[in-house]
Amino acid sequence: MDFDDTPDEAAWRAEVRAFLERHPPVPEQPRAWQATLYDAGFVGVTWPVEAGGRGGTPMQQAIVDQETARRGLPPLINLIGIGMCGPTVIVHGSERQRQRYLKRLLRADDLWCQLFSEPSAGSDLAALRTRAVRDGDGWRVSGQKVWTTLAHLADFGILLTRTDPDVPKHRGLTMFVVDMKAPGVTVRPLRQMNGDSHFNEVFFDDVRIPDDERLGDVGDGWRVALTTLMSERLSLGGGGTSIGPKPEAVARHVAAHIGALPEDRQVLARQELGRGYVAALGARYTGYRQLSKLSRGELPGPEASAGKLSGTRSARDLTDLAVRVLGPDAATGGAEWQDMQALLPGMAIAGGSDQVLRNIIGERVLGLPAEPRADKGVTFRESIG
Amino acid sequence: MNFDLDQEHLDLAGGARDFLSGSASPAAARAALDEGAGVRPGRAELIKSGYATITIPESHGGGGGTVLQLAVVAEQAGRVLAGPSLVNFARAAVLLEGFPDRLAGLADGSLAVAVIDDASPVLDAIGSDTFLTLRDGTLVCGPGEVMARRPIDATRGLGDVTLGETTDLVRDARPLWRKAERVGRTILAAEGLGAAARLLEMGVEYAKERHTFGRPIGSYQAVKHMLVDVYVAVEQLRSLVWWAAWAADRAPGELPLASAAAKAAAATTLELAAETVIQVHGGIGYTWEHDAHLYWRRAKTDRFLLGDDVAAFDEVARLAMGEAAR
Repeated sequence: MDFDDTPDEAAWRAEVRAFLERHPPVPEQPRAWQATLYDAGFVGVTWPVEAGGRGGTPMQQAIVDQETARRGLPPLINLIGIGMCGPTVIVHGSERQRQRYLKRLLRADDLWCQLFSEPSAGSDLAALRTRAVRDGDGWRVSGQKVWTTLAHLADFGILLTRTDPDVPKHRGLTMFVVDMKAPGVTVRPLRQMNGDSHFNEVFFDDVRIPDDERLGDVGDGWRVALTTLMSERLSLGGGGTSIGPKPEAVARHVAAHIGALPEDRQVLARQELGRGYVAALGARYTGYRQLSKLSRGELPGPEASAGKLSGTRSARDLTDLAVRVLGPDAATGGAEWQDMQALLPGMAIAGGSDQVLRNIIGERVLGLPAEPRADKGVTFRESIG
Repeated sequence: MNFDLDQEHLDLAGGARDFLSGSASPAAARAALDEGAGVRPGRAELIKSGYATITIPESHGGGGGTVLQLAVVAEQAGRVLAGPSLVNFARAAVLLEGFPDRLAGLADGSLAVAVIDDASPVLDAIGSDTFLTLRDGTLVCGPGEVMARRPIDATRGLGDVTLGETTDLVRDARPLWRKAERVGRTILAAEGLGAAARLLEMGVEYAKERHTFGRPIGSYQAVKHMLVDVYVAVEQLRSLVWWAAWAADRAPGELPLASAAAKAAAATTLELAAETVIQVHGGIGYTWEHDAHLYWRRAKTDRFLLGDDVAAFDEVARLAMGEAAR
């Protein structure tokens, strides 16, 4: 047991660090920054060479993520494309699609979004209603997607549609690559509860998609979507990086303010810091166990979902404490912690809600039986009555 | 990065599991409670197996092993509520470092050592004849008279100790004492990990078998999610125990935070596991004949040992804020 890099990992880390020191990012040009990183070989590290990647290991990618996080750099603009859309195109796309899209995605020449959730299909994704109907040598798509991060900037998206409502819901789905600038695509930004607008509603009004933009077979969209969701787990897996604030930053903040509190409140504040901190350390060191698997060349299983579940919880507890040690001023001041406080409820929903993650762990790790499904064995059309 | 057990540790754990599951059990813990039967496997067997003396140097008759190795064994001991605890062996091995004769006595069983803390009941006082404690900064050693009270968990050998005539062993022993306490907390947390992990297995097994309204109760999210929360807590505790044990062996600077975090997480996790698993079992989980309460007793006892969880959380907070722990 040790926490040290292997010699190969250490050399790679040094290379990444040296590059980041020489190339400070330009925050207002996120696409150019991603292209710079790509040209240096630090984007799409795990992607196959023929897909424009480096053919590296997940551990090498994790080291790039650690080093960029250590320097406080924001995530890459095309994160969803790199983590989810691209891997789906790699596995299920045609040779033409791979040639056309992948390298441009990695360089942020094109931005990508993932068009899965709908107003009536979130956790129950396979209940989605956006329809794709054959039209000559192509398809016509109508419906609505929602919570689509980056849709307002995206050039392309992967779009999960229903092509056959007369089979059970998982069997009637088909995936496409959609041109977000095509006629009939309307993107409307949604304002989140924290005031930001990172996600959108996307309306499809009789949008034409050529058949050669289909990803995978007709009716095989669920299997294609599982590739996307598995890739999401790999890209969100944590691996020892914190969700929300760094616990050390919360501790510094509490240390700076605790002296102004009455003694009984200091005792309480230390208890809360202790509890939040232990939970955060538990999540961090459990993440290191995941990283060790990566380092050995194994891929994380469903147990990786625990990192997001517990990391979100401790981030909320620690942030709550950070706000509270400010006293009543927190209601009008303390902007940094207020912003974090308003961001975190979304973390418990995005990328698999806490409840869905508990189902995944309960069923796939602990082997508990699934909840019976009322729509099992019936066609999608019947299930929506 | 290789934050995982090596094959050597896994083999050690397998051997310890075989030995301990054959020589200790929840049934033995119940007998200790019912009939005042002695703890199992008992001091002599634990010493004979070599597991209790892993961290005593080979030159003094021990195994010359690491705290991590002992922690791996302690997890297996916790699964079956074995007694006496490995905590006193681990602490005494640190405290008696400069005393070859006493170390040899600890290793061959001629000395039965327990450590007395100010604020906590004395773990495994029953069955011990030699006591170590810190008095005005000096480590002292002596015989003692043990008075047992009515224990919640009969496997912990708790008692009040009145010390007889003591010998001063080490002056200015506070740093040594703290180190030993931290190693002890790590091993206590490892025993808690084993108990909590075993409880989780019991809960999951039952949730798959027991049916209500025509389906297994584990299919209901209300039950499933409770067990998942225990699973997450157990795996995080495992990570903290490994970290603390590794720090004890390899990174002393990290031991204060790691051991306080492991101690605190063990207290809350074992309690969560015990109360959840009783609830999952329903009425049968609340009976004397069911094993759940024997683990629950461990939870309600261990939380007070080597400082309680409130003290451990406070220490984590102070360390995190960069203050001296005491």
